[in-house]
Amino acid sequence: MDKRHPSSFQQLEKLGEGTYATVFKGRNGSTGQFVALKEIHLDSEEGTPSTAIREISLMKELKHENIVSLYDVIHTENKLMLVFEYMDKDLKKYMDSYQAPGGGPRGALEANTIKSFMWQLLRGIAFCHENRVLHRDLKPQNLLINTQGQLKLADFGLARAFGIPVNTFSNEVVTLWYRAPDVLLGSRTYNTSIDIWSAGCIMAEMFTGRPLFPGTTNEDQLQKIFRLMGTPSERSWPGISSFPEYKTTWPVYATQELRAILPQMDGLGLQLLGQMLQMRPEMRCSAQQALNHPWFAELNQRSQQQAAAQGQFAPVQGMVAGQQRAY
Amino acid sequence: MPPARTVRRAVTDENAEAIGTQRLTRAKAATLTDDVIAGDPPKKALTTKRSATNVTTGPLARKRTALGDVSNVAKKDPVEKDDLKKDVLSRATSLSKSAKPSGIQKQPARLNSTRAPLGQKSSNAAPSDLKRSGSGIGGPVNAKRVKSASKSEDTEASENVPPPKNGSSGKMKTEEKVKPASVEVDEGVDLESLEDLAKDLDTEDMDDPLMVAEYVHEIFDYMKQLEISTMPNPDYMDDQAELEWKMRGILVDWLLEVHTRFRLLPETLFLAVNIIDRFLSCKVVQLERLQLVGVTAMFIASKYEEVLSPHVQNFVHVADDGFPESEILSAERFVLTSLDYDLSYPNPMNFLRRISKADNYDIQTRTLGKYLLEIGCLDHRFLKHPPSLVAASAMYLARLVMNRGEWDATLVKYAGYTEEEIQPVFKLMVDYLAAPVAHDAFFKKYASKKFLKASIVLRQWAKKWAPEYLNGAVPQPSSGRTPS
Repeated sequence: MDKRHPSSFQQLEKLGEGTYATVFKGRNGSTGQFVALKEIHLDSEEGTPSTAIREISLMKELKHENIVSLYDVIHTENKLMLVFEYMDKDLKKYMDSYQAPGGGPRGALEANTIKSFMWQLLRGIAFCHENRVLHRDLKPQNLLINTQGQLKLADFGLARAFGIPVNTFSNEVVTLWYRAPDVLLGSRTYNTSIDIWSAGCIMAEMFTGRPLFPGTTNEDQLQKIFRLMGTPSERSWPGISSFPEYKTTWPVYATQELRAILPQMDGLGLQLLGQMLQMRPEMRCSAQQALNHPWFAELNQRSQQQAAAQGQFAPVQGMVAGQQRAY
Repeated sequence: MPPARTVRRAVTDENAEAIGTQRLTRAKAATLTDDVIAGDPPKKALTTKRSATNVTTGPLARKRTALGDVSNVAKKDPVEKDDLKKDVLSRATSLSKSAKPSGIQKQPARLNSTRAPLGQKSSNAAPSDLKRSGSGIGGPVNAKRVKSASKSEDTEASENVPPPKNGSSGKMKTEEKVKPASVEVDEGVDLESLEDLAKDLDTEDMDDPLMVAEYVHEIFDYMKQLEISTMPNPDYMDDQAELEWKMRGILVDWLLEVHTRFRLLPETLFLAVNIIDRFLSCKVVQLERLQLVGVTAMFIASKYEEVLSPHVQNFVHVADDGFPESEILSAERFVLTSLDYDLSYPNPMNFLRRISKADNYDIQTRTLGKYLLEIGCLDHRFLKHPPSLVAASAMYLARLVMNRGEWDATLVKYAGYTEEEIQPVFKLMVDYLAAPVAHDAFFKKYASKKFLKASIVLRQWAKKWAPEYLNGAVPQPSSGRTPS
């Protein structure tokens, strides 16, 4: 018998409901601390869901300031409760309720906020990837923010550890709107680059307040992407015709300038976005490379100074070194 | 045989996997038959427990009735003395029996006695393993086998292939061998003196997304930490009142069959074994629960590693209904809690592939290496060595057998171990190979052509050379050739 018991947490309002879990706000009975309680119903047929097994195992490994902390796991006869650090909102809700003081479309965030969120998002992603974990479900609903402006990756239900070379995985991953073209094309040999595509979609969405590629079906999703990025061909993407979902009947769209649909973005930002939203997975930048992009120069500098002030090595320096090493 | 299939389906509502299992058991049954003949002095200590376990025939009996089967009869009375052996695993055998209504070509007596895996304990030394497995395959194992075999081949075969060069085409990279001779030194393994000599093979992977070249150093550094934090206590058997090492070997050998029949990834087997060992490092388990632990570990490992993991029912069936689903599910909870949900074990396959990279992804050495690496699952003496070292030794020995030249700076760098560091584990492997076959399923699996008859080849080599290497007659550092 575990002395930790669900009843040691006071259950408050429901925060969200997923396919396999319900999340409540909770309060620790003894400390008064707020927590998020993720309740997973145990299937009497198959026991602990594989999503939960992976999520718990991976979250216990991933301790990072841009990844939500898992405090505890309470496993009872018929349910499994994960106790997470409490965060105020998810990015989706935050955007939905945000109206920039200077006007502009509802949901569009301010440039500085976006830069900070993207930097934190990429740091979280880089940490996952360095620790051989793919998140595989990045979207605004799974990014949590708190009143201090911190952003953290949450919901590792679809995440998994990968080996090198990366094994083949299911291609039923990532919410449609944030799913990379190679995955949409049926690839099962994707890698870290699928999280980068999602990050790019999220970045654009923060600028406009609207999802970048709100497709309705797999096919529609691809076409929405092609309309902006251009319809790929063997010439622009050697090997594309061997993907399972490749079609010769796709309408042929020309590549558009990102700046045409994102006029509010500065040149450096557009450049970075362009590196993340590459159709071909091998052309997409890594999270580390994105973090080293000049668009983040100021944030990197500040973080290095802070780290230096605390007598630590700045994490960003480590990343730079890592990159040199790779080349 | 078709009728057998139908009946089984009807009864269990199972899918192909279960059928595979059935086949497996049969084959196994046939194979193991001779063990009995070889005769094994039953373990006295086990006797009592054994009988206790056997009493649990409840579910078995039920099942047979359901099948309206014949073979039961035989099941019951066969070689009574072997009762003791119906151990941890004996149930699997009975599964096959019951499943097969026709039972005709099957000599029931064999079946029963067959499984006796535990019985094997004492008889490991039985010399004629080769022959046995041969007959096993030739026997009752019929055409049905083919399908599953070829299926599993796919998985395994793909394992023997260099990683695809790029995600989109899925073609293997053929120009792998043309390595840039350029010595781009990068900080990697700690052996600095060798660094300058080692080639940097990761640069060439920069355009191959599957190799995750931009994170490869971080990831391997991390895995080196994890392999230490997920090591079991190598002496846990001292604390297990009812268990002994040999039983673990039998259990893993059986799980390996289950693994093959379920067509699971190589990673899943390694993780399952790690789960078993870490669990047994912290919990004392009764003999009659050992199989439950094994099945549960495989169930958990599948959920973690596989895209689609087999249903719990399949695991109940391979264990011949020895315990109900509910028991596996509650064992799952207990095991996960005991391990604090830590399944971060870095799979040895990753290390093997890493070294293989420095070996030009040579398929022959890699296949031998895979077999040698799996010895680490079956033989408990490897528990105290981290997976990366076992993988290094496996590749070292494989290259030696194939006369692939010295263990050079590049290999040292990618393996992370020098020839000297490898010696102790290398010798354990040679020792295992030189000893009589102790794990039949394992031996048989790798005796097949698709595995280049690794188990046979290596045993032949060991027969000839083991004394030299074990006595240290071969000088260090070696030339990477078997002395001729």
